[in-house]
Amino acid sequence: MRHDFLDRYSRLDSPIHRLPTIVKLLGALGVVTASVSVSFTHPWFFVMVAGLLLILSAFTTIPWRFIFGRLVLLEPFALGIALMALLQENGGMLFLAILVKSTLCLLTVILLSNTTPFASLLQTMKRLGVPRLLVTILALMYRYLFVLIDEAERLNRARASRTFSASRTKKWHMLASLIGQLFVRSTERAERIYAAMTARGWK
Amino acid sequence: MNTAIEIRNLQFRYPDGKEALSGVSFSIADGECVGLVGPNGSGKSTLLLHLNGILPEAYPATPNIIIYGKSLSKDTAADIRRDVGLLFQDPDDQLFCPTVFEDVAFGPQQFGLDEEQVRNVVAKALEQTALLGSENRSPHHLSSGEKRRVCLAGVLACEPRVLALDEPTSNLDPRGKRSLIKTLKSIPATKIIATHDLEMVVELCSRTIVLDQGTIIADGPTHQLLGDEQLMLAHGLEKPHILRHIHPH
Amino acid sequence: MHLPDGFLDVKTAVATGLFSATGLGAALRHAGRHLKPRKIPLIGLTAAFIFVAQMLNFPVASGTSGHLLGSTFAAVLLGPSAAIIVMSSVLIVQSLIFADGGILALGANIFNMAIVAPLVGYGVYRALRLFLRGGQGQLVAVGFASWFSTVVAAIFCAGELAWSGTANWRAAFPAMAGTHMLTGLAEAAITMLIIAAVGRTRPELVTDVDNSAASSSGRSTTLVYCALIVIGLFLLVAPHASPLPDGLEKVAAELGFEHNAVSNPVVSSPLKDYQIPGIQSASTATIAAGAVGAIAVFALSFLLARVLLPRQKSDAHTSVSPNHQ
Repeated sequence: MRHDFLDRYSRLDSPIHRLPTIVKLLGALGVVTASVSVSFTHPWFFVMVAGLLLILSAFTTIPWRFIFGRLVLLEPFALGIALMALLQENGGMLFLAILVKSTLCLLTVILLSNTTPFASLLQTMKRLGVPRLLVTILALMYRYLFVLIDEAERLNRARASRTFSASRTKKWHMLASLIGQLFVRSTERAERIYAAMTARGWK
Repeated sequence: MNTAIEIRNLQFRYPDGKEALSGVSFSIADGECVGLVGPNGSGKSTLLLHLNGILPEAYPATPNIIIYGKSLSKDTAADIRRDVGLLFQDPDDQLFCPTVFEDVAFGPQQFGLDEEQVRNVVAKALEQTALLGSENRSPHHLSSGEKRRVCLAGVLACEPRVLALDEPTSNLDPRGKRSLIKTLKSIPATKIIATHDLEMVVELCSRTIVLDQGTIIADGPTHQLLGDEQLMLAHGLEKPHILRHIHPH
Repeated sequence: MHLPDGFLDVKTAVATGLFSATGLGAALRHAGRHLKPRKIPLIGLTAAFIFVAQMLNFPVASGTSGHLLGSTFAAVLLGPSAAIIVMSSVLIVQSLIFADGGILALGANIFNMAIVAPLVGYGVYRALRLFLRGGQGQLVAVGFASWFSTVVAAIFCAGELAWSGTANWRAAFPAMAGTHMLTGLAEAAITMLIIAAVGRTRPELVTDVDNSAASSSGRSTTLVYCALIVIGLFLLVAPHASPLPDGLEKVAAELGFEHNAVSNPVVSSPLKDYQIPGIQSASTATIAAGAVGAIAVFALSFLLARVLLPRQKSDAHTSVSPNHQ
């Protein structure tokens, strides 16, 4: 239950949280598409988008530290790929453009995911016609994500309490063995879940 | 009196030989509450999995499981699953939907109830398990006691005539145990409870079956069986404290 | 390889989105028809597992670490269609919930890591298994397939970046292919280690995969998969293949395959005139490195397989008997 931080803010009560999921989803998609399509020769557009997102962020009542923390955490990946742009002609402008665009898009998704419980996203997907099988699997995946994280932590702690100093090769072996164990446990749990589903009438 | 469960000479063997059942027979009357006790590996869980047809994978030609007069076969399995509600040992295995409401609604939806009926039946089940108001909560935000209650609600929502429970009080703190026992007392269904919690058996079950290595060792009144110290120790159990000051007569 | 938003232009995002939708749709259709309901929780749990496994760091050098991608792992153990569903689910959740990978870029990310990688990994694995037998042989095949599929996925990614005008193919290809030849090594090693570990506790999970009916796709599904890869290659990779005859290059230019640089250089890049000596041949160098790399990976896989399964010979007659088919 420790990792509720991953889902801590999605059920707050703010005007943004209360918006219907489909509005948030399409809104996010719209902002992202616009940011990507509009050329950087119109910098005022991006200033507007940034302003809009910051205002929305304020309305969500999610702590700023959390929002910017997520932003900072995810930024390096964008940075890495953006560096490749520098190797082109006019690369400097391109680099800046990419950085600004990706940051705005990142902020958009951070807002979307932290104002919408995953269960609502699934319902909306179902309504939008996403195949039932996929929705079922996404639901199962999300549900058991936290269970597996817990199991992995337990396995890791058990391993760590019996390890004193390990060479890098040993570390790889132990980590792989942990992951292997996790997989086997996952398959066994899947069997039990199937039994539980059939017990309540699933076909 | 109506026979709720009838088991006739049930045999079973897992491919690796673990937890087999060798010729188990008994019947349980409508409304009875029976405790199923025995050491680890005695076959308690395996037995419960037979009650609603999850095991075996292929049903035998002569049915040996009869629930309220219906013999378990491929055709009757779906029906029997409505009558027998099984509560699994690990709530995480059974609580597989994204929210409490969806999980409790799962059974009724599978059985074909319409939206209105589903909502009613879910509300009733949540009330029975003191979970009204938790409809939108996600499973990973629940304590293990709450998860267990959600699983129970999910089973109750199917309105089964038989409740089969596998270690319902494991991992519960004393408060959680109290609350669960109180809830179980208020449910009129026929109950069979596989457990190590002998104090609970004394409190809830008038009759007890002792299982060891896949065979029934004893089947009789709870106080008599659980008060028999030698019997208990011989099968990996012990006389519960609550009976230590009661002399059998 | 998770592309954030802002790196792909709309046309690339839409095109790869269509490819992904087609591939994922075919996988879902195949699974819906042929998959036993009992496997559905397994697919869900495997997706959760891959997600968690991707979070675990394998220390490489000070500061750097590698981790599992899992496309080939899933494909070998569950079959191509299930793997596509598993990896797509992982990417969808990563993108929507954790903002790891963009939402517009989801199409491209799914195409690279959830369709190309598992399919290529699976194909290479099955091909190699034709003449690499036994437990050790399986590990070698898995290792090489993991490396190869990672590199191929990276090449597709480079193609998408080039088509969007974000990066020059001449820079993107060597960069992406080169770095992923290295990360592919980690992928190969980690996948081999994990499969060996799984095989030790539950051999039946590992030895049955080649016979299992769940792995084989229907003919129409296989056709769709192959078509997607070929079209992807044609659209994203082939236009940049080194010696293009002039005529074809003109056609490519007309179809918009040439990138469009931003036309208003207020800030001009300090690296504008940077030229790696012989950059024109960077692509050729990369291809050469790839060939050498492939041989090296093969050799290393053989060695690692020997270490992981010392008692087994790669002999068709030595077998760990499967429990069922």
